[in-house]
Amino acid sequence: ACGGGEESSGDNGGDGQTYNWKFVTEEVEGQVQYEYAQEFAKRMNEKSDGAVNIDVYEFGGLGSETNQVEQLQSGTVEMAVMSPGFTGNMVKEGQIFALQFLFPESVEKTQNILNDSEALNTDLRELYEEHSISPLSFWSEGAMQWTASKEISEPADFENFKMRTQTSPLILKSYEAYGADPTPMSWSELYTALDRGTVEGQENPIFFIGDASFNEVQDYMTMSNHNNYVAMTTVNTDWYAGLDEEMKTMVDETVTEMQDWVFEEQKKQNEEYLETIKNDTENPTEIVELSDEQREAFKEKAEPVRDFYRSEVSTVDGKVLDKLIEEINAAE
Amino acid sequence: MIATMLIIMVVLLFLNFPMMIPLMAAPLVIMFIYFPTLDPMILMQQFSTGIEPYVLLAVPLFIFAADIMTTGKTSNRLLDFIGSFIGHIRGGYAVTTAAACTLFGAISGSTQATVVAIGKPMRERLLKIGYKDPSAIALIINSSDVALLVPPSIGMIIYGLVSGTSVGDLFIAGIIPGIIVFISFAVYSIIYAKMADIPLAGKASWSERWTMTRKAVLPLGFPIVVIGGIYTGLFSPTEAAGVSVLYAFILEVFIYRSVHIKELPKIARSTGLVTSAVFVLVAGGQAFTWVISFARIPQMITETVLGTDPSAIYVLLMVTLFFFIGCMFVDPIVVILILTPIFYPAAMSAGIDPVHLGVVITFQAALGSATPPFGVDIFTASAVFNKPYLEVIKGTPPYILILFAISGLLIFFDELSLFLL
Amino acid sequence: MKVFKAVDKIILKIEEFILSYAVIIIALMVVGKALSRALFSYSPPFADEVSQIAIVVATFMGISYAARKGRHISMSAFYDLAPFKVRKFLSILIPFGTAAVLFVLAYYSSLYVQDVYESGRVTSALEMPAYYLYIFIPIGFLLGGIQFLRNMWINITNRDEVYLGTDVKDYNDEDTNDLEGTHL
Ligand code: NA
Ligand code: NA
Repeated sequence: ACGGGEESSGDNGGDGQTYNWKFVTEEVEGQVQYEYAQEFAKRMNEKSDGAVNIDVYEFGGLGSETNQVEQLQSGTVEMAVMSPGFTGNMVKEGQIFALQFLFPESVEKTQNILNDSEALNTDLRELYEEHSISPLSFWSEGAMQWTASKEISEPADFENFKMRTQTSPLILKSYEAYGADPTPMSWSELYTALDRGTVEGQENPIFFIGDASFNEVQDYMTMSNHNNYVAMTTVNTDWYAGLDEEMKTMVDETVTEMQDWVFEEQKKQNEEYLETIKNDTENPTEIVELSDEQREAFKEKAEPVRDFYRSEVSTVDGKVLDKLIEEINAAE
Repeated sequence: MIATMLIIMVVLLFLNFPMMIPLMAAPLVIMFIYFPTLDPMILMQQFSTGIEPYVLLAVPLFIFAADIMTTGKTSNRLLDFIGSFIGHIRGGYAVTTAAACTLFGAISGSTQATVVAIGKPMRERLLKIGYKDPSAIALIINSSDVALLVPPSIGMIIYGLVSGTSVGDLFIAGIIPGIIVFISFAVYSIIYAKMADIPLAGKASWSERWTMTRKAVLPLGFPIVVIGGIYTGLFSPTEAAGVSVLYAFILEVFIYRSVHIKELPKIARSTGLVTSAVFVLVAGGQAFTWVISFARIPQMITETVLGTDPSAIYVLLMVTLFFFIGCMFVDPIVVILILTPIFYPAAMSAGIDPVHLGVVITFQAALGSATPPFGVDIFTASAVFNKPYLEVIKGTPPYILILFAISGLLIFFDELSLFLL
Repeated sequence: MKVFKAVDKIILKIEEFILSYAVIIIALMVVGKALSRALFSYSPPFADEVSQIAIVVATFMGISYAARKGRHISMSAFYDLAPFKVRKFLSILIPFGTAAVLFVLAYYSSLYVQDVYESGRVTSALEMPAYYLYIFIPIGFLLGGIQFLRNMWINITNRDEVYLGTDVKDYNDEDTNDLEGTHL
């Protein structure tokens, strides 16, 4: 068997039909996305009495994140976990998750909004479906934190601070708003660059910071929760539309029940890595907590960036954002 | 499917097709035969993905810098300076080459960049004093491998992320194996120089040495700027490659005036030619990797081979074997990314230290970039020195044997990796 | 025939120009970014992207130039041992097969470019249409294929010699190794 080429889906072949799907992720074994896909595959297999077999692909073999998006669009793979950041150059609205201090500080509250939001699950989904991508759910892999070579607790600390960021104009704007010098830097050079001070800080969820050992070369970690690393469970739109009703229901149900599962999973991983980072006495990292006033100070600087999103990024004049803000306000 | 792929590769290679053809055609044929429902277009994205990683930019930049310096005076002055101190010592130039490759490899983190930047000027000197080309090139290619073992090693950073192992610990653990490789190559070089009876230069007087040193002052600023710049965090290793172009440019065009600014496009074109010849292969290798990964071939093979409850030594031997085979066809960094997660769980349940596993894996990947048939260092050397493939690999067997012996040591004595921790 | 030669010369000049300036642009971008960050604490966000575009352009537009100069890497171990007649035969067969494969690749990669075009994807920093970047892939394959056909043709028309590229004869038939001359 070569793992492919078998009939996958489309027309309903009645009893005894087997389904072989491919599910690609942007992370490797042990990390949240990959574990999610594995658990999803396991549940689908059990529910279908072994009729559904899902091969989970970790990051690496199938190319870059952008490549994986294209593979989902072309139906080369049926399912994918993707973060909207990597599709932000196609579905512009998806950059919404890069906005800082938009969602509540609590990841749990954020996850509830992600679960229920019509702006995301209906409006944003429609925009994705124009590109053959159907996001079935949105979930947090954890809140993003800042690590730095010095203490960051108020916007002034970002003054003349070389912050490693992605290259998208929205993210650059977000850090310029604090007075930082956003510095694009390739991932593979980041560890060395932080070690030598070529750049002074970076942002990621805690599990990733710990996994990539960035705490070894950084002295401070600010629990900023400035936004969330949001991932989407996506399927190829045409493929999904072609599933028989029974199978579609099974997929939808599993997607829904996985929301709680992945919340617990990311919570566990982020808590465990936080302990690891705290307990690493060889490479001590001071954990900086923000007071309400300090958070408010950052939020004040971050809010005007929403206008940049509305005018320069959004293709629908920020309608998705405005609706989402209403939903967030209602939830808080 | 594996057989089909191998047959296409081997037949086309031996017929002397340009290597990009088997690398690009084999995945395409596999798509047609085994995945007829898929759009072969998907392979095309992989071509550009393969050459997009930012760190690869160091390769054309170091080629460019080396081209400028060898066209002008910089590299000769540096080599005369070195020669005045070690020219009269048996194997002196070869040991210097090994040392320079080790050092530069450690700094640039790229084996290919090392082959070019150190190899280009050093090879000419080695030939001049009587070394045969295959042995000179083999020395350069293999000494450059150390780039992957000594910090800041990209191989280790990738392994660190995939496995969750401390990158700092990996960096420290790579030091002793790196030194062992260098010492082994140095000893071999001295023995070789004796056996091949490489003629010695007369011992330079101290006044001659002083003259050479004075002439080399500005060129010597080159390593200082590059090394100093990286260690002080002024620029990243890839940017250092760009800075070396700038340094060479200022020195040759404005100070020595040995290169006219109008010659620059011509030098750059030569750099572009070499870059293209190497990078089409990297692009093809990525498409090749995609098909193998998509068909889950690595998982299928390793599941059969590892069985249940393998011993630690057995797992490490299999790691060595699979990385060796993998690196025969694909870039070592890609192999680390794909094979590490497959072997890691088995290695952990067999009680292997993750840092030790990382060192063994990185070592194999380093070895892989210099082993035929697919070795990016071999391609780079073939393109840069404009030498037929066979000529490039002819001298490598003794080095591969040495590296295999060291790899055996690493497997059986994990202290070699863990001692400094 | 004259027109043909003129066209050839123009294409050669364009290839040379692209290769040269792609490399120079990479150097400018990488150095410029480092200097700008060190001196002004400002990192031009487009620098990495421009370098990456330049490297894709150099790689694929270099295919035909390297073919012309006989500089593609191949595993010549067995070929080098073969007698003249075998090499002569292979020198016609190989460029033909290579050209055929490159044309197939040009076809599929142009489909890919069309796909990217339709997706409306833009690059992340410059936000320019992403297909601008990928369009050099089919062009490179196409020009490469044409050049390999010419390599085949020159081996058909010149009975007495083997050519590795239209500009380069087989080193196996040379008395001295003057290959170095082609580099630089
Ligand atoms: Na730390
Ligand atoms: Na190899």
